Amino acid sequence: MFAKRTTLGILMMGLAAAAAAQIEPGGFARETAKDYRELARYPESSRVLKRGEEDPIRAKRLPTRQSMPGPDGSEPILSVWTAKISFEVGQPIDLFATLETRAKAVRPDSISGEIADASGAIVAQVTYKDDGQEADRTAGDGVWSARLAMPKGLEPSPAASYMVRVKARLADGDLRDGAGGFLYSRPSAHLTGRYRDLLRDGNLVVAAEVDVKEAGRFHLAGTLATAEGEPIGTAQSAAHLEPGRYWIELSYYGLMFHDRKAAGPYRLASLALSTTNVMPNAQNDLVENVHLTRAYRTGQMTERPFQEPRLLETAKRLELDADRAQGRTAPEQQ
Amino acid sequence: MRVRFLGVGVLACLSFLALAAAAGAQPCLIFVHGKQTNTNTFTNYNSARSYWVNGSNDFVRTATKNFAAYHYVVGYNGTRPYFEAQSAGEVANEIVNATNGGADGGGNRCRTTFAQGGTFWVIAHSMGGTLMDFVLGNNDPSDPNFNFTGPFDQVAQRVSMVITTGGAHRGSQGADAVCLQSNPFCSFIAIFIQSCDDATFWLRTSDDVQVRNVASAPARTVYLTGGYEAIFGASACLTGEDDGVVQYASIFACNGSATASYDNSNVCNNNSKQETTGFRNLDAAHENHSDERDASDTDVRKAIPGGIWTCGGVPCAPNTTVQSAMNTAQFVAILY
Repeated sequence: MFAKRTTLGILMMGLAAAAAAQIEPGGFARETAKDYRELARYPESSRVLKRGEEDPIRAKRLPTRQSMPGPDGSEPILSVWTAKISFEVGQPIDLFATLETRAKAVRPDSISGEIADASGAIVAQVTYKDDGQEADRTAGDGVWSARLAMPKGLEPSPAASYMVRVKARLADGDLRDGAGGFLYSRPSAHLTGRYRDLLRDGNLVVAAEVDVKEAGRFHLAGTLATAEGEPIGTAQSAAHLEPGRYWIELSYYGLMFHDRKAAGPYRLASLALSTTNVMPNAQNDLVENVHLTRAYRTGQMTERPFQEPRLLETAKRLELDADRAQGRTAPEQQ
Repeated sequence: MRVRFLGVGVLACLSFLALAAAAGAQPCLIFVHGKQTNTNTFTNYNSARSYWVNGSNDFVRTATKNFAAYHYVVGYNGTRPYFEAQSAGEVANEIVNATNGGADGGGNRCRTTFAQGGTFWVIAHSMGGTLMDFVLGNNDPSDPNFNFTGPFDQVAQRVSMVITTGGAHRGSQGADAVCLQSNPFCSFIAIFIQSCDDATFWLRTSDDVQVRNVASAPARTVYLTGGYEAIFGASACLTGEDDGVVQYASIFACNGSATASYDNSNVCNNNSKQETTGFRNLDAAHENHSDERDASDTDVRKAIPGGIWTCGGVPCAPNTTVQSAMNTAQFVAILY
């Protein structure tokens, strides 16, 4: 009897909770429009970052772990990752793996890996070790490592993705499988290490010189930070370039320095160059803290919102939809 | 007799005008399907349309409020990687066609064109989400792969938003398992992932194949919903909550590891997405990867961090049951 009443009570509470939850008619379109009006303060090529937000360009280039449990979700879990997302031709490719139960390392009998291209063909094999040699930083710490040298003749043009199929044999003979990967890149341009900065139309322009070996489209993205390293905003640009030396400019929209109340000098915290418009894109190594600008004052920067017209138009249409949904405007008036 | 006839005629006209006005007040919904194991949805409209149907259940009919809102169904080659001409390029071209008032393969068209002031919402399932990330993240000349395989700039200008259901924004651990070719326990739904074909290779969770590597933040907001109903066998190969094919870290476009373990209480909020802007949570449903696109499972919906549901004027606490019987198509229908 008590159980029945309890069940009924829980059911009624659940229904009451469900009934109380709501979505305001037109509210979805209106909130989206509000977001767009805020975003429209900046051009698409340059965005301000919120205080405390991590450097998004650096974050995109940081490798992450891919974890996979055993059958029926059982532990230990095999996690695999690489030293970088992309390796330029000629660089050693360091691969890592851990086997863990409840976040504690479990010692496997062995860990091995196969490197497969997009067609599934195996191009190399590796054996992971935990002996403190070569790629393995500390012996016996539970992080197993392997250093791969890609076979000659696989130089990509400009890049190729490889899958790393990892197999861990447990002490009891069970197997765990893991799947990772890396990008093998031969970028058509490199940063020369020369940078300069200037003000233009109230925006801060940071230019980086590139040396182009083969014609192509190149994308440059960079995060600007305070001198102390707190990220302020991002900028990106892209251009088709013929062989030679060029300056690629990143224009940081002036409003960001007012929004963040940040005066110069500014630090170019991270810079990512890629050869694009061919898949996969070839990535150069990320460079960090390579340039400090002059000590610009906030007053030298524009305070004017960019008012990106296409976003504002979309916002306007959504607001009309919201008005109609809330009965504020007759549908015929559209 | 004549008066009665006229009265019926006037009523019929008024009903038609009311329906037309109501449809005009609503966005046109553009549907983009997910991964395929053959090219049928690309070559045959009926296959693309059937993707959203299960018996008498029809996602398109439900989401459009029994066709009160206009719609357009896209068909692309779901066996190709998300960035190619027959995938992203085809979708971009079809969306532009839809916004110009052109018809899909079944003769459906949006009533009000972009030039006439229309609004367009894209509803994308599974790989359709990855594909829209690529299109909307390469719409500006400053983006890495601007207009790579289609008129991405026009799509971004004309689409008001995207709603993804079970979107593979960070890839799928199902794709990992299939490409590993070694775990017989991972019996994935064959219609989604059958082999490690080119599309599957590019839907893995590895960093090097992620769409965020080749695109910037989406130019229009991508809203996120997805299922947490497990599929026996398959879900054991996925970390955290999942819909049997795609894990939460991907459905909700989380930053960090694409295989991180999340549930309805702790899935990444709107400040921890794969891009700093352009992704927002809606809610989660007790649906599996198949249910998410065919309106066949009218079930519980839960609030998630940063989601859309409000309780007593404030955001509902994560994992609160916000609906006891509502499928994702019905959910889409209450958003406009």
